[in-house]
This record gives sequence, C-alpha cells and structure tokens, in this order.
Amino acid sequence: MSATNGLETMWSELVELCNEQFNSPPFKRLLGTKFTQARAQQYSIQMAYYVRNRRDGWGYVQGSAPFEVKKLIWQHEEDELIGQKAQGKVDHITLAVKEGEVFGLSAEAFERTARLEGGEVCFSAWIRLAQRPWLEAIAGSAILEMRNSGELIRGGSLSSRIAAMLERDLGVPMKKQINNAEHVVMDVEHANLLMRVARKYAGGEGERRAILRGARESLMIDRVYRGHLADTLEALA
Amino acid sequence: MNLLEDLLETLDRMVNDQFESVEFRNFLAVPLTLERGRFYVVQNALYTSNRRDCWGYVQGGAPLEVKRVIWEHESDELINDPRAGMDHYALTVKQGEVIGLKPEDFERAEIPAMVQACFHAWHHIAMHNHWLSAYTASHMLERRNNGKIVKGGGMSYRVGKKFENELGINLKRMISLDVHVVADTDHSENISEMFKRYVKTEEDRDLVLKGAQESMATDRAYRGALGYYMAQIN
Repeated sequence: MSATNGLETMWSELVELCNEQFNSPPFKRLLGTKFTQARAQQYSIQMAYYVRNRRDGWGYVQGSAPFEVKKLIWQHEEDELIGQKAQGKVDHITLAVKEGEVFGLSAEAFERTARLEGGEVCFSAWIRLAQRPWLEAIAGSAILEMRNSGELIRGGSLSSRIAAMLERDLGVPMKKQINNAEHVVMDVEHANLLMRVARKYAGGEGERRAILRGARESLMIDRVYRGHLADTLEALA
Repeated sequence: MNLLEDLLETLDRMVNDQFESVEFRNFLAVPLTLERGRFYVVQNALYTSNRRDCWGYVQGGAPLEVKRVIWEHESDELINDPRAGMDHYALTVKQGEVIGLKPEDFERAEIPAMVQACFHAWHHIAMHNHWLSAYTASHMLERRNNGKIVKGGGMSYRVGKKFENELGINLKRMISLDVHVVADTDHSENISEMFKRYVKTEEDRDLVLKGAQESMATDRAYRGALGYYMAQIN
C-alpha cells in the first residue's frame, strides 16, 4: 500500500472509530440522560476537570514530539490555556467556569467539588498514554478532538449533542453554553492536527499502526470515562 | 530567615558551586579550536532540543497556573524570541554560520553516548517526579545561566567569552550565546516567582531541593562529557 493510500485508510479508520464511540453502551447511556439542574452542574464541573486533564496530556505530548510538532501543539494550547486575547477570547478553563453560571454554579463550586473516582482513574490512564512514544501519545490526545468534530461525526459531535440536550431539558440555548459552543467550533479546527502530523511523520506502516494503537486506547478510556459520568448523573435527582 | 529565602539562597549557592566542580572546570579549561567550537555549537542545539522536551513534560505535570507560565516561557524558545526575531533553535543554527556550520550539520549531528545518557536522565527527572522537583530541575539550568546570580557570569556568558578570547569571535556575533545571557536571566526570574506561590512547607522545599540536586548532578555529568569529547578533537 502506498503511503498516501495508507494515510487515507488510516484516517478513514480513525473517523470510523470516533463515530463508533456514539454507538457504545456508555455513550448511549450518557446521551440518554435527561438533564436536571443538579446533573448539569455536576457535568459542567467534571468537564472542567476533563479539560484540565487534556492540558496535562498535551503537555506531555509536546515534550516528546519532534520540534516542528511541538510548535503546533504550543499553538493549539494557546486557545486552551491562554485564550485569543486579540479576539477577546478567554482560556477554556475560564470559559468552563463561566458557562457554569448559567447552571447556577459559582467559581467556588468548581474548586470544592471533587473529581469523580472513576474520572481520576481515567485521567491517570490518559496521562500514562500521553507519556508513551510520541505518535501513540499524540493520537491519544488528538482523537478526543476528532471525536468532538462536527465535520467528522455523523449526527453531531459530543459537545453539540450535550448542548442540544441541555437546551431541550433545561431551556438553556446553545449561545449561552459558551464552553460547548466554543468547542463545537474549535474542535473542528483542532481535529485536523493529527492528519497534518501524520502526513509528515506517518509514512510507514509501523507509524500508522502506532497512531491507531494510541487512538484506540484513548477511545477505550473515553468510553470508560463517559460510563462513569453517566453513572454519576443517573445517581443525581 | 524564612523557608523560602533560605531555599532561594541554597539554590543560588548550588548554581555557583557548579562552576567549582571538576567537571565544569575541565570543560571550561579545554582550549577552543574552530573544530571544537563547531562541536560545541552543534551539541548546544541538541541540548536546547532536550530542554524543549523537558519543559513540555514539566508543563504536563504542573498546576494550571504554572502551565501558563511555562507556555509563555516556551514562546521565546519554540516560536519567536523578540530579542532575536526567531526561535532559539533557529538562533543556534544561525549562530553556527559564524563558524562555518550549515543547517545540515545540525540535522545529521549524532548525540555522543555520555551526552545521550544525560539527556535521558533529564527526561526521567522531568517526567517521573513530583511537578515541583521536575520544574526546579529545568529551572536550575536557567538559574545557572543567570549572570545576576552566578558570580563571574553564567555558562552562556563564559562560553561566549571563550569564543571571543580564544577564537577572536566577538560575543555579539555568537547570537545564541549572547541572547541567552539575557534571556535566561529573565526566564529564571519569572520561573523563580512560582516558588513564592507554591513552596509553603518543608515537604515542598525538599521536593524543590531534590529536583535541583538531580539536575545539577546531571548538568555536571553533561559538562564533563562535553569537555571529554571536545578534548578528543584536535
């Protein structure tokens, strides 16, 4: 198989894997939840922890990646860690906390609410994946943004589906869900990072297998994490 | 004296002591020839790359506020240092032109065995320690380059002066060394600010000292290795 065909095949497989996430029992349970205010609050807080864990993961990936890829990740992290000040956009953690206001959450609520135990375990697993050889590691982080890309996911990305549920159940319009709205846009852009890297660094079968290995493992952790989230939300009134 | 002041004084003493070590003395005593100078500049680019790896790992493990400080720090290094108008790797490659090096010389450079071992050691410290230890380990290499702290000048300054005195190349023409004389002073001061915020207990202090000691030991081994390899070049 030529390198170009190999890349296209790999990309198609990655996109399919992301789409299959939404047919998995944990995703179906999470997406079958009916949001109450308490559930929306818990979800919002846990998502802020998830976003923090992504920052850990991308940091480790930046550490092990080649110099040119480090630059791409550094730019990626500008949106997440710092925000686009020139465009008046804040960082994504601040955004998550600000979005919490529409669900009746204060900034303190984010500080005093613990991470889910199951979330903690998944976060450790993602960090461990981020410390693996760099092609596996970058795939492990990038696939979560592909899974959140409305261009790649049939029926809408995870952020857009959750946003629609919050609008349906609590009457909070998407434009007021500023964090979800931002990720619906940004993750479409960020989802392309992996292919840009693969075009230069995944010319061989071995490299492409490494990418698929990292992506599959991350999506497995993602399913476990979403299952824990679904359990937690179900337990709340 | 309080915990923090005492700690910062200890870190200052440690970076000064580096220059009294047998490894640093041997390295700085090797007379420069053009070939040795070329070897050093190429190796320094590889060292800079290793720093980028480690700061990435440290960013991964650090609290959010510290991540932001490191991200800003890496702006100079990875993207563009306004003092130089380019990133620090490009700066090192550009500096090489002064002594007849081409970009290909950097691309095909091999990492000598003892240097490789030091790079692995720094990776290990950055990835597998508490973040305070990891953070300090990377910080100490900039503190050791801070002329406001190191009596007689930091490493970049001293090596720059060797190029000037032994090869007749003015420090200003050794643009990477020259930029680092200033950049690492700024960097080490910005990074050191975080100690004020996060070192509150003896346990915190001990984590900082652990990272400092391990990194300085690796740095001595690294400089010893460079001195050894340089001395093999006629």
